[in-house]
Amino acid sequence: MNEQLRAISELNRVIHEPGRLMIVALLGVVKECDFLYLLHETEMNKGNLSSHLARLEEAGYVEIEKTYRGKVPQTLLRLTRTGRAAFDQYRKGLKAAL
Amino acid sequence: MNRPKRYDNIDGTGEMFMGLMMLGFTLASYLEASLPVNSSRWMHLVVIYGVMIPVLGFGFWVRRVIKNHFTWPRTGYAAYPRVGGKSWWIGIVVALVISAVVAAGFAWLRLFARRHDAINLPRMGMLVALAAVYAVWVFRMGREHPWKWLVVIFMALGLVAIALIVPGDVDAWFRPVALFVGLVWLASGGATLYSYIRHTQPPAPEAE
Repeated sequence: MNEQLRAISELNRVIHEPGRLMIVALLGVVKECDFLYLLHETEMNKGNLSSHLARLEEAGYVEIEKTYRGKVPQTLLRLTRTGRAAFDQYRKGLKAAL
Repeated sequence: MNRPKRYDNIDGTGEMFMGLMMLGFTLASYLEASLPVNSSRWMHLVVIYGVMIPVLGFGFWVRRVIKNHFTWPRTGYAAYPRVGGKSWWIGIVVALVISAVVAAGFAWLRLFARRHDAINLPRMGMLVALAAVYAVWVFRMGREHPWKWLVVIFMALGLVAIALIVPGDVDAWFRPVALFVGLVWLASGGATLYSYIRHTQPPAPEAE
């Protein structure tokens, strides 16, 4: 198989999905953010965003912390070390493939 | 991806902070000018720091209050990575190089202006630098608000008017310029905040 095609076939499928790619790309440039920020920036609906986040958490790429801002519940999200490494790897892979 | 950096000024607080800083410089400069002629350099430093530290503290406090009460409940909270390690040093070096180039440029303009009385180059240099800084800032941070380009034009015209009306050297000219620029940035940031509050609503309580 051609090198570029192999690079495409080896792309991380968890990150490659457009919804999750948006989330990981956004989390990659912030220290942390809340659910509302991702909802506003990605323009996904709550259900979609929650399911993508659950998938990323399951893969160990995203850390989810339930907390409070004053009396208001807040869900804080950040990329884990594994998540950052996977995203870097994904970017390199995509560059090699294209 | 640079969207999160632009998000930081979605409420106009970045611009208002810059405006407040310029107004602080204006106040410090007027107070400094009112000091006795033979006052020591230390006295000048005390005046500058005595004004700027409370002004910057107030700016940070206002910014935090606006984020807490309006921005984070409406469009969410995002924190940016702490600048550190290699990037911190790069930032310092870049800031030093830019400051040195600007200082050398102004020194050269002042020297040149002494030899050629017809054109006041330091004034023109300051005018171009301020308008260019704001234009670059609008291009990078305020692309969501095309009307900001009108503010850039208004600011440039205002600076030209001040350059034509106010007599004296760069030092005398700096105060009205800083006052004008500070007020423009404060008003522009305030308009962004007003527009942000008007066009965004906090989500229903069951958002999460």
